[in-house]
Amino acid sequence: MKELEKTKRISIAAVIFILAVIIGLLTYKKPKNSYAINTKTTLEKITGENYLVALNELNNPDYVLIDIRNQYDFEKGHIENAINVYAAEILSEDNIKVFDELKENNKTAVLYGNNPQEPNAPFLILYQLGYENIKLLAIENSYLQNKLITKNSEIEKSKADVTAFINESIKKANTTPIVKVVAATPKKVITLEKKKKAPAEGGC
Amino acid sequence: MVKKKIAKVLAFRYTILAVILILLAGGLVLLPKYQKHEGIKPEELLSNTISPERYMTTDRLAHIIINQDPSFILIDVRDEKSFASYTLPNAINIPLKNLFKEENTGYLNQNQYDVVLFSNDHFYADQAWILCNRLGYKNMRVLKGGINEWYATIINPLKPADNMPASDAELYATRKAASMFFGVVYPEQFKVEAPKAVKQAPKKVITVEKKKKAPAEGGC
Repeated sequence: MKELEKTKRISIAAVIFILAVIIGLLTYKKPKNSYAINTKTTLEKITGENYLVALNELNNPDYVLIDIRNQYDFEKGHIENAINVYAAEILSEDNIKVFDELKENNKTAVLYGNNPQEPNAPFLILYQLGYENIKLLAIENSYLQNKLITKNSEIEKSKADVTAFINESIKKANTTPIVKVVAATPKKVITLEKKKKAPAEGGC
Repeated sequence: MVKKKIAKVLAFRYTILAVILILLAGGLVLLPKYQKHEGIKPEELLSNTISPERYMTTDRLAHIIINQDPSFILIDVRDEKSFASYTLPNAINIPLKNLFKEENTGYLNQNQYDVVLFSNDHFYADQAWILCNRLGYKNMRVLKGGINEWYATIINPLKPADNMPASDAELYATRKAASMFFGVVYPEQFKVEAPKAVKQAPKKVITVEKKKKAPAEGGC
């Protein structure tokens, strides 16, 4: 009798354990978005591949422009045929669907913002999620009379040689100090001669 | 009859349970592979990158360097050539492609110092920041505008026009002083140092007046 109770307990425990595992498996949710590549491969890829697009390369029929600025900016002015996907909502279901579709159709998504730095983060996140059909448009936007003007912008371009500037400033400063020592001109001393009192002439 | 059958099955109950357990265990081994995630969730990474919290202005950085704040490490993510030509004082060079080399993780993955990443503008520095943020590295900052902004604001500040508010003039004075700290020499700065011509005190000439003998006054 005692032994029977013992075996019963073991089987009950085992069944409960199995049930727990099964429930765990059933409630397990696949995360919505997951990375396809790890950071090391991403780094290798972004330092090795050319993901930048210039304005004159845009007439490629495979390119689909994506404006990552907010809706207000987009409506104010955008490049022709661009789709607006705001950067902060780039991982929402609808937007991910857009990127999935582009990937299926072998199109390349070209992200742009007001400057090349803006689409950098969305670009890198999508890239890590496995969307390799993604590029970045290196442009700078400005407005002239409410009209959007875009021009190419070179990323990571050194605008000035700082060392040269500092050396130049030292050189410039060194040439100027010709200090004229003004020789003190001897002061002229003008001694006023006192009028001598005319001796009182004695007279009677 | 039924009882006998049940008894027969029950005789194998341990084997059956064991097989199920082993199968489930095998499933658990396979499971982590399916969702192997390196670093934080993409959604979290996105919200971190959208926030401008990571940016540090050039003025703040100049302040930090001048005060020799020991809690900051500066990391230059440009290539070696640019690093050799000009970099910020005491910066360490980790070119972007070497970011995850083992010898560099000591600088990036730590809690003691604040790390400031910079490049020519902040494009490469941002990329480095995003990858590090995904791995959960703490205390990382990005110099907004990078070396170009540093040049335009600290090294070669633009003199405000006369009609600009006083705060601009003050800012200019601070930046100019900072630029002197970083090695820029201004001509007028030199004039102050130039030896001053010592003015000779004018000699006082004291003319001693001779007493004149009083002429005899004529009298009667």
